[in-house]
Amino acid sequence: MDPLPRLLRLSGSDAYVHGPDANFLMIGERTNVAGSPRFRKLIKENKLEEAVEVARQQVANGANVIDICFDEGLIDGVAMMTRFLHLLQGEPDVAKVPIMVDSSKWEILEAGLKCLQGKGIVNSISMKEGEDKFIEQARIIRRYGAAVVVMAFDEKGQAATYEDKTRICERAYRILVDQVKFPPEDIIFDPNILTVATGIEEHNNYAVDFINATKWIKANLPHAKVSGGVSNISFSFRGNNVMREAMHSVFLYHATQAGMDMGIVNAGMLEVYDEIPKELLARVEDVILNRGEDATEGLLDLAEQFKGKGGKKQEVDLSWREYGVEKRLEHALLRGITEFIDEDTEEALKKHGRPIKVIEGPLMDGMSIVGDLFGAGKMFLPQVVKSARVMKKSVAWLTPYMEEEKAANPNIRSAGKIVMATVKGDVHDIGKNIVGVVLSCNGFEVTDLGVMVRCDKILAAARDLEVDIIGLSGLITPSLDEMMHVASEMERNGLKLPLLIGGATTSAAHTAIKIAPNYSGPTVHVLDASRSVPVTTSLLSEEQRSDFVSKNEVRHVKHREKFAGAEKRKTISLADAQQNAFQVDWSRYSPPVPEFLGTRVIEKQSLRELAHYIDWSPFFHAWELRGVWDPESETLKTRNAAGAEQAATLYQEALELLEQIIAEEHFTARGIYGFFPANAQGDDLIVWNDETRNAEQTRLHTLRQQLAKSSGKPHYALSDFVAPCGSPGDPAPADYLGAFVVGIHGADEWAKHLDEEEHDPYRSIMVKALADRCAEAFAELLHHRARVAWGIERSNEFSSEELIHENYQGIRPAPGYPAQPDHTEKPLLFDLLAASEKTGVLLTESQAMHPGAAVCGLYFSHPESRYFAITDLQKDQVESYAARKKMPLRECEKWLGSWLGYSP
Amino acid sequence: MMRPDATEELHSLLESRIAVLDGAMGTTIREYGLTEAAARGERFADAPKDLLNNGDILSLTQPATIGDIHKRFLEAGSDIIETNTFSATTISQSDFFVEDPIDSGGRKDPEYFQQVLENEFLQELARDINLKGSEIARTEADRIAEETGITRYVAGAIGPLTVSLTNGPDHDDPAFRMVTFDQVKQAYREQIMALAEGGCDILMVETIFDSLNAKAALVAIQELFDDENFSLPVIISAAVGLGGETMISAQKIDAFWIACQHLDPIAIGLNCSLGPDLMRPFLSQLGQVASTYTSCYPNAGLPNPLAPTGFDLEPHHMAEYMAEFAEAGLLNLAGGCCGNTPAHLTAIVEAVKEHPPRPVRTLAA
Repeated sequence: MDPLPRLLRLSGSDAYVHGPDANFLMIGERTNVAGSPRFRKLIKENKLEEAVEVARQQVANGANVIDICFDEGLIDGVAMMTRFLHLLQGEPDVAKVPIMVDSSKWEILEAGLKCLQGKGIVNSISMKEGEDKFIEQARIIRRYGAAVVVMAFDEKGQAATYEDKTRICERAYRILVDQVKFPPEDIIFDPNILTVATGIEEHNNYAVDFINATKWIKANLPHAKVSGGVSNISFSFRGNNVMREAMHSVFLYHATQAGMDMGIVNAGMLEVYDEIPKELLARVEDVILNRGEDATEGLLDLAEQFKGKGGKKQEVDLSWREYGVEKRLEHALLRGITEFIDEDTEEALKKHGRPIKVIEGPLMDGMSIVGDLFGAGKMFLPQVVKSARVMKKSVAWLTPYMEEEKAANPNIRSAGKIVMATVKGDVHDIGKNIVGVVLSCNGFEVTDLGVMVRCDKILAAARDLEVDIIGLSGLITPSLDEMMHVASEMERNGLKLPLLIGGATTSAAHTAIKIAPNYSGPTVHVLDASRSVPVTTSLLSEEQRSDFVSKNEVRHVKHREKFAGAEKRKTISLADAQQNAFQVDWSRYSPPVPEFLGTRVIEKQSLRELAHYIDWSPFFHAWELRGVWDPESETLKTRNAAGAEQAATLYQEALELLEQIIAEEHFTARGIYGFFPANAQGDDLIVWNDETRNAEQTRLHTLRQQLAKSSGKPHYALSDFVAPCGSPGDPAPADYLGAFVVGIHGADEWAKHLDEEEHDPYRSIMVKALADRCAEAFAELLHHRARVAWGIERSNEFSSEELIHENYQGIRPAPGYPAQPDHTEKPLLFDLLAASEKTGVLLTESQAMHPGAAVCGLYFSHPESRYFAITDLQKDQVESYAARKKMPLRECEKWLGSWLGYSP
Repeated sequence: MMRPDATEELHSLLESRIAVLDGAMGTTIREYGLTEAAARGERFADAPKDLLNNGDILSLTQPATIGDIHKRFLEAGSDIIETNTFSATTISQSDFFVEDPIDSGGRKDPEYFQQVLENEFLQELARDINLKGSEIARTEADRIAEETGITRYVAGAIGPLTVSLTNGPDHDDPAFRMVTFDQVKQAYREQIMALAEGGCDILMVETIFDSLNAKAALVAIQELFDDENFSLPVIISAAVGLGGETMISAQKIDAFWIACQHLDPIAIGLNCSLGPDLMRPFLSQLGQVASTYTSCYPNAGLPNPLAPTGFDLEPHHMAEYMAEFAEAGLLNLAGGCCGNTPAHLTAIVEAVKEHPPRPVRTLAA
């Protein structure tokens, strides 16, 4: 058989093999206190959780190995190395890569070795203190099985020249290979990357010496590797990142050609070689390759041009500050820059004399460009909301001046007044807030009444503020009924104002069929924020209004005709559906037994842990960016390239905000879950008091599919997934049901603060969107824990990615969603868990959860349990269901409204 | 008596055929229906805690039973038998003899384990178990070797601990570990020295759930070799989960091999935790990357309380799997872990004997 090639093989919990075709091995330097001021600060402040996050980021950014170094006077290196590596062991995303333990102190290196289950790298040892010490240290490293970095350093000092570098490396190699029996492929030489362009002539050839020494080592010391700390090369250009990045790239380009295998590099601080401007490239190459005596001079001249520039990461072009004030305001609005808004507003006020002139002039002009670009799909919602933030800050600055003028000028002309509210019983308002921001950006005066707003309050506000339009929003299905109620109350009060309907469960059809008939004024469904401006503008325009209203009415009629004329889908009787229930052979199946019964409360779930479970796609949908988020590449897969770019920015800002939320503890994640002995009885689920299964604690109710199926597939109800009650002589199999409630507290309060105190609607909306994601992530995480507690999954069986895609056994359906659309099952679930008391999550009269960022549901463990949709419920089932629930039929039909397949 | 280094001899054996390990010690002991009193014997009659499940002390209190089990495996055809010393460290024995600090409101921490390591009763106990366990196995192996003319080897079993270096128990302080690397290394070092002195031919670091614990044992072995100037062949064997990673430290099998390679073990392999069917893909993966012999001694399927051995697979089942593994060129050393009785081993010996061993890819010069 072919022998196995001698390759550098490393491991964390995963293997890393540096094969002949491997790319340059990137060693992340951000977890080195010498390489990263931020990391040093976190360590000194003992913020280790955040420091671990730095490690995670590096791996996410493509580091193959991470360098860990705590060499700093005030840090206890042995203790910190041990502590930090212990923490990394608990982070699967980080623990997978090999670790480079970096220190100039031997005891710290050894402490690090004692924490590595895999094969890491020791960085570094040298012959500085003589051969004996060098051999002893190499032997110990070998016992731990690590690879080693050897510095080109001997008793006389650091090797700077080609001759010294090659001589010392050869000597070290021979000792290691011949005496210590160190495998040559595990020896990594660091022939010292030293700073060039210092103005001292002897330094000019340092890069060339390194490159040539590398060539010699690769040719003469078989299997040995070459590494180095790249940022040293450009040390004389500190503060000039453009120059430094160019130097790093040029140096690496030549050094890797010479055979350099790996390097300690900030992967985020590398300019692409081909993208370095021609002139800069030529001058940098002159310096790196030491071509010509005036190479350094030439580079220094050029450096002046780039001085103070942030480089690749944070290049800021401030040339727009030269423009006139109106143009500057426009630029700030278009780019969402708040940095200079106060001084620009002040200047504009001086020039235009009155605040109103500034608002109606440059600010509104800028916002109308924003509105146009948004309408044309050239700007994206997150950008528009940032523009609104600039607008809001400017207006906030002007407000005291306006107060002074108020008597003289009581009315600001606006495009129209709109009152908006999330209806009674509902707490969801992200979409509504976005619409509010977009409308204000387009000159409409928006009054937002908030969430859970009673009908009389909406009507009173409309009357008192003399508004032009009322907008209603809601997310959960019971809100649809409340919207119908508001519409009929508007009719009863003789209103004629346009009524806008929006929100996730609303639809054009529902608006046409169920809401509009209650009200004789125009009732318009608004699909998303981008439609809100044209709709509102048309409704308030003298010329366009009648045309728009009649077209809207035509659409409504079409919806109604389609609905009335729709062929009723074929359904079957409840008895037949029950006959064709999903069958499990319970005699051959033993349900898993949870490791505990009763409930467990999570008082304060770590947000950091939650963050890993976030499914980002819906986050982008909340911002009207369609597509599928790919966590691997951190990009939004969409056909719209500009949208993907916008998503990338949004994602970065979301991560920053999330980091702040975590660090400053703005959210509190509370939850509860539990397991209970349970059996099915018909389509009900009996939850027993205890394992004797004699006394019912509560009874949950499920609904069964009634739509006829041609395929012979079963007619599912959730009760099918739980073993049925036994009979005398045939005891019930011991089956169980789980339940959970999770909620994110604190988001509403902070969002309100951001919006009202900091005039920052962008982050305010983002906070709420993140709270929703955290609630979903919490539900996913808790379900994962529950499955482990239930013994149907091991704790590390799936990646969080797989969890998001639900590749696991068991389901967690929630009341109010397709498998059990009845929201009135929620109080039963809440009572079973004592969830309101234990988690602070409350139910409104519409059975919405408060805070809105909350999730609840039941857990089913059966391997074939699945999600399905209930539709077209027939009267026989609803009668049976109402009787089982001891609820009047009419009330039951009201709650099940949109799921009924008949007209009650 | 310290044994000479049998590495060369084992090489010739493993080049010529598939060698056979033994079966389960723990689950086979159960057949003998020992009582608590029998397990305690005179020496531990007054011990405060139950000892029936402390199988290792049976070498001291019921040496005939342990000898009989070795004899039965040797008669079934095992080339290598493992000593009854799976938990013979001060740290593991402390569970049976020292009051758990939790009972008095404390917790297990490095301070507690330092007392364990310095506890003379535990030191003497662990040493006695290792010496006596090696002696019993040695006696039986030598006797059967003489009777059959086939050399038999004794492998000193070095099992896992109930404490982990990779995972901490405290969610509020995830950096906390109950025990230190040096403490684990010392406990293993004492065990390994006694096994070598007791006459083991091979050191067998096995049922590795936590690769960092195992690394402490491997460092201890190398230190002893250097300090005491001897060497013995080493076999390293991991217990992996359904995804093929070490059960506690979640290290993938190729990463695990890379982390162990420096010790130049005579074999690397898998045992326990899985039945042969579930173990197969990881054994195959290991065979592709390892530049040494591979060993495989799976459980007799999954636990089944209704089966006489407590496990699913009967001797002929194990034989079918092992024959297929051998046929596929996956085996150098074969045996059985939990649930494998002498009858299972007889079947395994028969199943692998006609097949050539797995060819080993050496590392390039």
